[in-house]
Amino acid sequence: MNKAVPLVTIDHFRMDFGKKTVIKDLSFTINKGETFGLLGSNGSGKTTTIRALLGIYMATGGQLRIDGKPYEVDGSVKLGYLPEERGLYKKEKVIDIMIYFGQLKGMARAHAKEWSLDFLKRVDLENEAQTRLDKLSGGMQQKIQVGIAVMGDPTLLILDEPAKGFDPVNRRLLMDIIEEHQDQGATVIFVTHQMEEVERLCDRILLLKDGESRLYGTVDEVKDEFGGMVLEIVSESPVPKNDKLYSYQRREGNVTLLEPKADLLAIQRSLLSAGVAYSRFELKRPSLDDIFVEIYGKHAKEEN
Amino acid sequence: MHNLGTVIRFEIGRTLKKKSFWLAALAIPVVAVFVGVIIFFSNKTTDEQSQNLAKEQFTIGITDESHLISPKLLESVHARPIATPQEGEQAVKSGQLDAYFHYPKDISKDTVSVRGKNVGLFKNGRYEDLAGQLLKQSVSAKTNPGVATVLQGSTKFNSLTYTSDGQVDKGFLNVIAPGVFLVLFYFMIATFGSQILTSITEEKENRVIEMILATIKPTTLLVGKLFSVISLAFIQMFVILIPTIVGYLFFKDQLALPNLDLSTLPLDPTAIGLGAVIFMVSFLLFTGILMTLGAAMPTAKEAGGFMGGVFALLFGPLYAAPLFVTSPDSTIVQFLSYFPLTAPIPLLLRNAVGNLPLHEALIAIGILLLTTLIVISIGVRIFKFGALEYSRKLSMKEVMGRKS
Repeated sequence: MNKAVPLVTIDHFRMDFGKKTVIKDLSFTINKGETFGLLGSNGSGKTTTIRALLGIYMATGGQLRIDGKPYEVDGSVKLGYLPEERGLYKKEKVIDIMIYFGQLKGMARAHAKEWSLDFLKRVDLENEAQTRLDKLSGGMQQKIQVGIAVMGDPTLLILDEPAKGFDPVNRRLLMDIIEEHQDQGATVIFVTHQMEEVERLCDRILLLKDGESRLYGTVDEVKDEFGGMVLEIVSESPVPKNDKLYSYQRREGNVTLLEPKADLLAIQRSLLSAGVAYSRFELKRPSLDDIFVEIYGKHAKEEN
Repeated sequence: MHNLGTVIRFEIGRTLKKKSFWLAALAIPVVAVFVGVIIFFSNKTTDEQSQNLAKEQFTIGITDESHLISPKLLESVHARPIATPQEGEQAVKSGQLDAYFHYPKDISKDTVSVRGKNVGLFKNGRYEDLAGQLLKQSVSAKTNPGVATVLQGSTKFNSLTYTSDGQVDKGFLNVIAPGVFLVLFYFMIATFGSQILTSITEEKENRVIEMILATIKPTTLLVGKLFSVISLAFIQMFVILIPTIVGYLFFKDQLALPNLDLSTLPLDPTAIGLGAVIFMVSFLLFTGILMTLGAAMPTAKEAGGFMGGVFALLFGPLYAAPLFVTSPDSTIVQFLSYFPLTAPIPLLLRNAVGNLPLHEALIAIGILLLTTLIVISIGVRIFKFGALEYSRKLSMKEVMGRKS
């Protein structure tokens, strides 16, 4: 795995829909073999970027390349794509749909069938191979779609909100499948709002806001760029504002996040004198979740 | 066209697995067989009834003031003479006679009276039939056979007309071979129009389009679908034709169907060739139009609303069909023959009746081909840009305005 070799290059990408500019001027690269997180609130332009990268949308400006060329369905890159807007042929049998997509991805029919049956067994759907898709639950259909996305050993796996609609058990299963493809050397683009998973899986991330790159780099680089350490205080009573000692970030439940400006001891003394009894007083790096909320606001997090 | 075969196999395979396809395909021959069985039993019953009627004896009384009726014939039907019409009518009323016929002195002025015992709505006609037959046969026997044939309306004719090169013109038979393409075109479009729309909008309606477009080119998907629909149309046609032909060959006598002697059918290679080309290009053009319509609309249901307009343009010229036969050079016929959206029916019909000159046919085919190419390329463009428009119709300005 050579992380220095770019596989996806997006250079001054601009996208207009009529008079509305969705992406202003976006540039980033994704290296071969890395797992890349594309993050942002609803409407920030993540899915538009992916669709333009795959040629489903025509970019208004700039260049979007995979392996040095605009994406071609029959080009050198083996693509696995799980779009945000999902669906399959509802009236067809599960196995027939999987074989069809396998063949479209260049697999021989027999191989596609064998692979599909193995996958169905793995996700506890082996008895549903001959079932019509519309007879399955939404969660079961999601598993089939994930299976179709990862079939054919993709070298580039693009997953747009892959965990949407999964319960925690199946989310774990999904993450295992993604990790397997990472281990096999696939490049993974992960569009998600699940920050814990991003922290665990992604080598580098890009946060989009209003069609522009807000933060870009490794998870640690992004945390550093965002502004260093935060002070987390767990207390029953609210923490009063004090612009000299700290800047107040937010309070969720009984957890208050502050950005310290002064000595921690001074802050502790000020809290005690204000009658704030805390059970935790910890200086830590902000989580991606904290950064996300800070950038997009609490409402965006709740929406997502 | 990488993956074209896979798309075609998938599309055809899944349609052939559907019960609805076979129900629709077999419905026509099944209905034809059902109607045939009814005709067969109806014919059989009618024949049996006629035979029974012939064998049936009934008593007849006759008053012949015209002196036209042959005594020998009266003898053969055991008719007895009755003195007056009142007496004859009374004999029928009292049940002494089954029927009584009164032939007046001058049958050119007065009517022949027929009285009979009521034997039911359908059987009561036998009295008038017999009265007429007695009169016709008696008169015929008194004249020469030629006059008798004319009187009985059984004169035979043998007509021939000659073409400018001295060949015998085969008349209506000429229309059959090239006319097949007209029937075929109508059948294909009427049967498969809505299927084309459903097929094109399916991926959008099922939200599978994004996964598909990341895997194959839109042109491959569309061309694959077009080929599949055309192949399915032919399969359905064979499913209808084979039982129909088998039924005709084995049951034509029982069903009293006319004897089709195909060896006498004129086969003009130019007319047949032109018919085939016009049929293929026209079918491709209209599947292309329906495909474009499907690509521009979010659902088949919404696209279906516009299909009526397409069909009106296509089949509207049928109302002017007599003009295509009698006035091929009129402005309206020329316009309808060259305007691509109305051209298929006039061209196929004029080709069938033999008034479509080769140069006109070639120009019209050229226009149809060019329009087909333009329509399909617009369709592909609309499909590409409209693929992710799940709830909105695309405007022409939007489609043509985007750069590719």
